[in-house]
Amino acid sequence: MVTKVVDLRSDTVTKPSEAMRAAMAAAEVDDDVLGADPTAQRFEAEMARIMGKEAALFVPSGTMGNLVSVLAHCDTRGSEVILGDNSHIHIYENGGIATLGGVHPRTVPNNPDGTMDVDKIVAAIRHRDGAMYYPTTRLICLENTHGNTGGKCLSVEYTDKVGEVAQSHGLKLHIDGARIFNASVALGVPVHRLVRAADSVSVCLSKGLGAPVGSVIVGSKDFIYKAKILRKTLGGGMRQVGILCAAAYVAVRDTVGKLADDHTKAKVLADGLKKIKQFTVDLTSVETNMVFFDIADPHITPDKLCQVLEQRNVLAMPASSKSVRLVTHYQISDSDVQYTLTCIEV
Amino acid sequence: MVTKVVDLRSDTVTKPSEAMRAAMAAAEVDDDVLGADPTAQRFEAEMARIMGKEAALFVPSGTMGNLVSVLAHCDTRGSEVILGDNSHIHIYENGGIATLGGVHPRTVPNNPDGTMDVDKIVAAIRHRDGAMYYPTTRLICLENTHGNTGGKCLSVEYTDKVGEVAQSHGLKLHIDGARIFNASVALGVPVHRLVRAADSVSVCLSKGLGAPVGSVIVGSKDFIYKAKILRKTLGGGMRQVGILCAAAYVAVRDTVGKLADDHTKAKVLADGLKKIKQFTVDLTSVETNMVFFDIADPHITPDKLCQVLEQRNVLAMPASSKRLNSVRSTA
Repeated sequence: MVTKVVDLRSDTVTKPSEAMRAAMAAAEVDDDVLGADPTAQRFEAEMARIMGKEAALFVPSGTMGNLVSVLAHCDTRGSEVILGDNSHIHIYENGGIATLGGVHPRTVPNNPDGTMDVDKIVAAIRHRDGAMYYPTTRLICLENTHGNTGGKCLSVEYTDKVGEVAQSHGLKLHIDGARIFNASVALGVPVHRLVRAADSVSVCLSKGLGAPVGSVIVGSKDFIYKAKILRKTLGGGMRQVGILCAAAYVAVRDTVGKLADDHTKAKVLADGLKKIKQFTVDLTSVETNMVFFDIADPHITPDKLCQVLEQRNVLAMPASSKSVRLVTHYQISDSDVQYTLTCIEV
Repeated sequence: MVTKVVDLRSDTVTKPSEAMRAAMAAAEVDDDVLGADPTAQRFEAEMARIMGKEAALFVPSGTMGNLVSVLAHCDTRGSEVILGDNSHIHIYENGGIATLGGVHPRTVPNNPDGTMDVDKIVAAIRHRDGAMYYPTTRLICLENTHGNTGGKCLSVEYTDKVGEVAQSHGLKLHIDGARIFNASVALGVPVHRLVRAADSVSVCLSKGLGAPVGSVIVGSKDFIYKAKILRKTLGGGMRQVGILCAAAYVAVRDTVGKLADDHTKAKVLADGLKKIKQFTVDLTSVETNMVFFDIADPHITPDKLCQVLEQRNVLAMPASSKRLNSVRSTA
């Protein structure tokens, strides 16, 4: 008997559904580099429509989605981008925008709610007077939902405000929207409205939406034209890529509607964890599908707890020296949630 | 009735077979970034074994395979790589090794047979005495089969010779082996022997082997460790990538044995073209699955010819604009 593993390390662990597998096997494909793969074309057109932008481009990963976007907006040498000091681009993408792209990062502190203070963003924009000493600010990046602060939603009002700042200073705005659908569902704001102020958005298909591979970036036709060349340069030009787009199409069609359940399960987990005296959880901080909880008991370390849980077939991820992160997704059932809580309690 | 299009533009147009589609649908997968996708693991182990190297890494494209390899070998700022002036890396990969990787290219002329003169390679290696002015040569790249010269095979003797040059000068050797299996079949040399002198090889699965997506790079464990991080940095870290590796596995299993037929068909095409007086073809230059032919008749341009062929559902690719007036087709 194969015991089911309850994998709460991340929503990237989702495996393709039967519908996705069938779609992949039947996908109409062609060479997307020499010409255009028809399934990729259809998927990209649909994503552009859903996100309210002119065009879209499928990429193998969120890292490439962000890297292509930053490099497309910052194609002049000597560029600088303003982003959160606790953002995924800055922390988990190998510093690629700088090491490969030559773009200088200027960080602004991320608040616990995932935002950056608008006045601090403005203060970080380089003045032209200092052009002999300064790089040139060209781009602001937001992340919605914001992962490291706990899957926090940036409101449409905040996003619009940052968009105004960008516009009035002649800058572009990119949203790392790996989990933008989670934000849209939690806020009750249609996704195209949520990102209206952005020049580009990177959206993950392989996280909560469940596709096996990939992200999609959306933006203007000019932006996507530049992005396509950058994608090829980075090595992301895949041939009969419709195979992957077919699964991504099913993901968007079938799984967006299940995200609200993931958020509910996260709240159930958080409620259960709060009752355990060795842990502290801020229930108001659970907005989407992530739960961060601190370990108050000095005898328990995150690594030790995760090891013990692993023996009981529950996988979690240490988030810091005294906290642990759990991420729900549609392949985690209600009974899995209850099982997890009983394992932790013991 | 749907008329079949005879697409001879490239061997990248190959669509996945039924066996590949079935394998993709049934593939056992997992998160290859957080942990390891089992199908990817099995495929990479098999490719390492076939190529005679310690380890392997699946990548979304040949461009990424070459870029990762060059950057892994040249990870110190101020590096230079020696490569052919008509190589795929230099001509068709957006100059990424320089624009993204900060690696300086030093070209050596490619001969019509795909090689570079060994003495010219040696002459291109920077002397340490000039370190105040020169970048530091770290890598030599070969391409086998060589595309732009007509799908030409580099012999195992030539490859070994360049390997000795690299070794004696403390350099690495990378082979862009997008079509290495074509070379192996045409030369009658096992692929692991053909690339023995190389520190790394990039092999395409999506060309003549027919997989929908991807390439694989092979090399030492240390090289692949660095390559894996570079792959992630470039954005090539895919999650349940076993889907694609399952098809690639079938490609290697089922299609390598059919490459000899592709070479035969190319020769048949070349023979037929030679009989047409408006065209000139060098039959001895058709070694694998590519045919370049020149248009002797000044009234016919490559673009015009390709347009006319397209109306008849045959797709071909103009290869040059003025000097050679030739068209490439791939069996």
